Amino acid sequence: MSMNRRRALFGAASLLALPAPLRAQTRGSVTTAIYPGAWEEAFRDHVAPFLKQQSGVDLEMQPLFAVDQIAKFSASRGVPPFDVFVLDPGPRITGIERGMFDKFDASRLSNQALLPSMLVDGWGVGCAAQVVGIAYNPKRVPKPSGYADLFKEPWVSKLGLTGFGTTFGTVSLIEIAKIFGGSEVNIDPALVELKKALPKIAAVGAPAAMPGLFQQGQCAVMYTNTQTVTTLKDRGVDIEFAVPETGASAFFTTMHIAKGSENVANAYKYIDTTVGRDIQAALQKPPYNFVPVNKDVPLLSGLPMKSLDDMTKFVTHDWAKINPLRAAWIEKFNREMAK
Amino acid sequence: MRLAWGLVAPLGLAYSAFFLAPLLILGVVSFYQDEAMTEFGTAQWRRFLLDQFHWKVIGDTLLLGLKTVAATLLLGLPLALVYRAASARWQRVLLFIVVMPLLTSVVVRTFAWIVILGREGLINRLVLDLGLAAEPLRLLQTELGLVISLTQIEMPLLLLPVLAVMVRIDPNVLDASASLGASRWRTLFRVILPLAAPGIAAGCALVFASATTAFISQSVIGGSRLVYLPAIIWQQAMVVAHWPFAATAAISLLLSVSAVIAVIATAGRIAAGRVEAPTHG
Repeated sequence: MSMNRRRALFGAASLLALPAPLRAQTRGSVTTAIYPGAWEEAFRDHVAPFLKQQSGVDLEMQPLFAVDQIAKFSASRGVPPFDVFVLDPGPRITGIERGMFDKFDASRLSNQALLPSMLVDGWGVGCAAQVVGIAYNPKRVPKPSGYADLFKEPWVSKLGLTGFGTTFGTVSLIEIAKIFGGSEVNIDPALVELKKALPKIAAVGAPAAMPGLFQQGQCAVMYTNTQTVTTLKDRGVDIEFAVPETGASAFFTTMHIAKGSENVANAYKYIDTTVGRDIQAALQKPPYNFVPVNKDVPLLSGLPMKSLDDMTKFVTHDWAKINPLRAAWIEKFNREMAK
Repeated sequence: MRLAWGLVAPLGLAYSAFFLAPLLILGVVSFYQDEAMTEFGTAQWRRFLLDQFHWKVIGDTLLLGLKTVAATLLLGLPLALVYRAASARWQRVLLFIVVMPLLTSVVVRTFAWIVILGREGLINRLVLDLGLAAEPLRLLQTELGLVISLTQIEMPLLLLPVLAVMVRIDPNVLDASASLGASRWRTLFRVILPLAAPGIAAGCALVFASATTAFISQSVIGGSRLVYLPAIIWQQAMVVAHWPFAATAAISLLLSVSAVIAVIATAGRIAAGRVEAPTHG
């Protein structure tokens, strides 16, 4: 945090140090909410300088988790605290339902034609994809063919799992439920099977702890996204991504313009820059390992698709149905898994 | 007196604005009936208190704190006794060793424990290499592993106040105890520990408060099968965005932890009082 503050102070100081005519070229600014950590770092290092260089717009960032973005906007009563939301599918639905977004006009993006159509709607646009499947250590277990394998030996005794706290955890547990007769709105069959397997399962962890547990050999198979697999692989961990036979799940992190924003033109410029080829290519590289959304960006190896169009075959979920149930699912998971 | 009040005013105002006021807001939020916070009521409190599961979570949280306090005391007190008897130079070295963990972020220390306790971690490698076990021990994701790591993480909080009182114990008192025929153990239990009681109580209270609320260590090392109150607060506040229920859980944590700390403080006072007993007896 202090590093960020130092950087921000340094940035502010260097802006003041600019000669007056140069400062006058600034065409205003745009404030974006951004996830703290990797996202904030990636956007500070790549998006902000590129936006400034291309459009003369200053990017200001407010590091906020999705829930905080919704809460802060709700508390602001008409004067949005930022111009652009960056959200996962669950909070995105909350934002739409509570009327927090401006109508989105994708034709204002120069990159519109390069984005898969499933990523664009009347509320916003996807800026990064997440592909979820099974990660396994090829030195310790054979490749699992699907989620059903996770409940059999040799996988179950090396299985690490997480609950409904994250989007990837939620969609994976839904996919497991489907195999055992459940659905997008009925995850009970998954919990019944997990409970049966619980004595054998290697780890039930917090999402943030899972990469560390995998790296330390505590578990050798887990459901996760390609980003985690790529990041661990870069660090020399024996890890591979397996597409389950029922299909990999996909969802998108989306950007939305806040209702009442006074910097709409700059917000479009910022969003356009983010989904543009240069930024998407930069964010695909380590240490960020984002899955790009721009068709012009060649996909790096390690992803389970050859092109973005292949993603239409992936499993997607209806978060308008999931959202109202998720709180109860989280509580149920706590109770069923608790020692 | 007026000057003293004047001097204390800045801190007092800061506390009122940034501690008392938010605490009050937290209390008010817990009395909202619904998630959207539109009407007042006691629904959240009823939901929390009438559920056996939440009582078990409170119990587990407090028990985790007590186990950590016991482990830190068991390992920390001998070190404090060594510190008391050491030369000034060695005291400086020991103090540095005690304070050193505080110089590293708790997040780093917690993740380091994954490396130590993991299946392929330091301890398991040692155990397997020495042939002490055929299979790696299960330390991560167990309460034992969590208590071990919390003991190391919280140790400075116990030792700093204990060391401060230990060095102030007058050596003449110990000599007097010895010359009156008390054994070393008797001197330890009847003189040293009662004299150090205020420091020990303060250290225990700090360790207890810190261990029961150590969200990062609890979730990273303990895992999701060990459910403690901080995890429930996080889930409700940050994942589900149910603030009234999160506030209810937060206040429950505050009250239950404060109650145990009050008991620790009282026990400390009673133990400190016992120091006078030999002079009367």
